[in-house]
Amino acid sequence: MRRKPDQIYRKILGEIEKALESHPNYADLHHQLGLLFIAQGDRRKAESHFIKALRINPNYQEATFNLGCLYLEMGRGTEAEKIFLAELKKSPKGGHLHHLLGMVYLKRGRKREALSQMRKAIQCCPYYVDFYKKNGFWKEGRLDPGVKAEEFLKRFPQNYHSAQLHHFVGIYLAQKGRPTQAVQELKKAAKWNPDQFLFHANLGAVYYFQGSYSKAIQEYQKALKINPLYGMGYAHLSYLYGLIGQTRKALWNMKKAVSLNPNYADLHYNLSLLYSDRKQYEKAISELKKALHINPQYILARVNLGVLYEEQKKYPLAKKEYKKVLQINPDDEHVRKRLERIS
Amino acid sequence: MLKEDFVIFSNIRRILIRTSIDYSKLDFGSIRGVVYLRGVFQLPRHLAGEDQEKVKEISEKTLFSLEKKLRNIPGVSDVLFQFENWRKERGQWVPIEKKRKAEEMKEEEDEEKTRSDL
Repeated sequence: MRRKPDQIYRKILGEIEKALESHPNYADLHHQLGLLFIAQGDRRKAESHFIKALRINPNYQEATFNLGCLYLEMGRGTEAEKIFLAELKKSPKGGHLHHLLGMVYLKRGRKREALSQMRKAIQCCPYYVDFYKKNGFWKEGRLDPGVKAEEFLKRFPQNYHSAQLHHFVGIYLAQKGRPTQAVQELKKAAKWNPDQFLFHANLGAVYYFQGSYSKAIQEYQKALKINPLYGMGYAHLSYLYGLIGQTRKALWNMKKAVSLNPNYADLHYNLSLLYSDRKQYEKAISELKKALHINPQYILARVNLGVLYEEQKKYPLAKKEYKKVLQINPDDEHVRKRLERIS
Repeated sequence: MLKEDFVIFSNIRRILIRTSIDYSKLDFGSIRGVVYLRGVFQLPRHLAGEDQEKVKEISEKTLFSLEKKLRNIPGVSDVLFQFENWRKERGQWVPIEKKRKAEEMKEEEDEEKTRSDL
């Protein structure tokens, strides 16, 4: 990890310390300070802020991961083990936690326990098979750490923190309206730890903001390759394909997003638009009904449903929907005119 | 002219993101080329601590620019704003809460005036 305090990081550190004066009980701010102090080489302060973040929010997993890795970096393996084991009691199916614990055991020379944790990581998240293969932990069809794995382990806690830091700074800069610098930071995060789907997803989001749609698509695809259950990733891909007019791909991705997040009314609404554009009206109506079942106050879905009924000359049904809209929003002149036209 | 509602929807979403509007309390969509925006219009959070007058000025400018951008999306025939906190009146954007407060103050003043007249 770079130890030279970078100008940007120092500036952000100052801004976060200032924000902490007004909001001393924001766990996020303490967590962010922890990462920034690691970048400055001040591990004691970093430890103190991670602990504060966890006191405020004991379920703050990222702070737990970072504190555990910091302990490992400081040669306090017992404490790292303790903190990960405690977290594992709360989330026994946490693939990432099993993986981290596996790394702790390997670092401490407890290979048998390490392999057991790594196997559990694979059970919880099959993606780890590829990860272990890529980083030299896999030989002849089974877990067997080799020389390449030792290299990975040497760099492990430092690389982990570097990736987390660049990710946080990238998001921070993006939120401050500095997408070019944000992309640089997020790229660094993905380089240090190419296996975090969220890094690629956020890089995709910033590319999207910049208008670099093909790059955004590539990053979301990388994120989904790592985590195929990331439903919103499919939704974002769908919006991107919509922007470039590739509605067939937009439809495929939106269907996947809906299947993974069946309780999101917005996604059903989006899917209905895609069906409606392709003149598949029955499917569009069905999706709008699902959206309204989830959120009966979803006015746009109701207006759309009315319009689809009207276009199919199902006037009584259309009137019913328009009247419901006007009950909620009597000022909607667009709907009032439509209602008058068919009354 | 392009009239695919999902394509329009994707463009609205892109515009909202690029304009840095906090759209967490907004519903938006396109219905046969008619764009709807409903809910609470909010500027980005980092402007929350700014001076009220400045926020109002930025909000007005942002709303004008937003409307222009939305109307420029191919296939859009109309844009309907149904914000809870802003309304367009005679070509000007007016914050509804402030307008209500101003009306209430005027009512109070009128009542005071009536009382003193009595």
